[in-house]
Amino acid sequence: MKKISSTLIVCLLLLATITSKSQTKSLDIGLRFQKTQDLYYENGITAQYQLSKRWAIGGSYYTSRLGSALSSNAIKQDNFIVSAAYLFRPERKLRPFVRANVGYFIADYESELFDNLSNTSAIASADAGLAYEFNCPLKVSLSLGYNGITGSGDEGAGTLYPVFYQASVTWNIFKTHSR
Amino acid sequence: MRKLILICAIAIVYTSCSKEPAIVDTDLDSGTFFDQSVYQPEKYLVSVARPNPTALEAQKPVVIAIHGYGASTFEWDEFRTWAGARTDFSISQVLLGGHGRDYQTFKAASWKDWRQPIVNEYEALERQGYTNISFAGSSTGCTLILEMLADGYFEGHIKPKHVFLVDPIVVPGDKSLSLVGALGPILGYTTVDNTKAEEKYYYHYRPYETLKELRSVINVVRKELEDGVKLPAGCSLTVFKSEKDNVADPVSAVMIYKGVRTSAGGRIDVNMVASSLHVYTRLSGRDIAGSAKDLENQRTTFTNMAAALVRVK
Repeated sequence: MKKISSTLIVCLLLLATITSKSQTKSLDIGLRFQKTQDLYYENGITAQYQLSKRWAIGGSYYTSRLGSALSSNAIKQDNFIVSAAYLFRPERKLRPFVRANVGYFIADYESELFDNLSNTSAIASADAGLAYEFNCPLKVSLSLGYNGITGSGDEGAGTLYPVFYQASVTWNIFKTHSR
Repeated sequence: MRKLILICAIAIVYTSCSKEPAIVDTDLDSGTFFDQSVYQPEKYLVSVARPNPTALEAQKPVVIAIHGYGASTFEWDEFRTWAGARTDFSISQVLLGGHGRDYQTFKAASWKDWRQPIVNEYEALERQGYTNISFAGSSTGCTLILEMLADGYFEGHIKPKHVFLVDPIVVPGDKSLSLVGALGPILGYTTVDNTKAEEKYYYHYRPYETLKELRSVINVVRKELEDGVKLPAGCSLTVFKSEKDNVADPVSAVMIYKGVRTSAGGRIDVNMVASSLHVYTRLSGRDIAGSAKDLENQRTTFTNMAAALVRVK
């Protein structure tokens, strides 16, 4: 888990380094807040790099450790995703978007009693929502998503549910250059 | 114009779905035959069979057996059969509210209605002087017991001695249950593929109203487990959970293990069972006869439960 976290952080730093040489692109880095329907709050970090007017790629790490499991008996679970988004009305401040995400999920059951239960899974999800860009480099996005892979009881991780809502608050670290 | 067409299309789809199923007389849903405990409660409830226990009888263990959502007392019949002529403990099989009767009664009942007969039997036994009362739940029966433990019900009553949970449901196998609020009114009801033998004991049709209630009590208990549940003093809890279960996700056992502590702050007992059956202790009425492993799982669980019931602390 630590290796994956480290890899994600290194990737984000590399992305920041590469994009810092570009004067026309934007890199939004910030916080992601997610609630799964009938399950946990999972929060974390996110970064979105805008490739062109309409296309963006990104990565996120969000976890119940920073949400429901912070001060309760909720299961500690981590999600690592990379995503590709398509933006509508790119010239406007309020932009609808659709996004495809793939990644990896892992839950910590904290006892060898449950060693025979599946606690990992691939993530394949899509979400759609609205992003609003303020005059300052701040951007807020809200979306509703659907997980294509969920646990069935017979197989898969039991705490992967279908519907989630997420909000991201990000800061465009290159905005002063790009405008 | 486009909007109008879209609204009309949605309205047609919505209204064209039948909200009431075509029930046949051979199903429990029809109301042509109720659960046997309705007709002969003395064969199922200890409080009715022996309302005036002697001092010795009052001290003997009584275990209240509680079936799951859509099921009936049938779910614990095999435990009674296994116990046979034993007199060192008694089994009181409770029929959940809204269950074992007909589709409309089922549809109208809330999860608090489901729970009421458990409370009634517990309080009747307490009034009659029984002092050694335990619970055995299967599936949603477990969820209801957990809710009673979490909401402090036992603070004003005698404390249960043991709680046995067989395939408890805190997380459903079918995660689409989380969408029943949105999809339920469109679908009206869902169906279950019961065997012919099961049709007399398990509802075939599941009205969305009852699925909403199931979702509701599951969510209540999940949050209570997240906050932490402490067992009453002198009470033990054992979970028996199939490792593969497409009705009650096995991760339910993880949540209960993390969420429930003994009165002294210790961990509860969890037995993960190599089975892919939901409520693996009920083998009767299934499509295929239980394998040797299934029979062994059932016997082992019943033996462990009985041993705990009669063990002198």
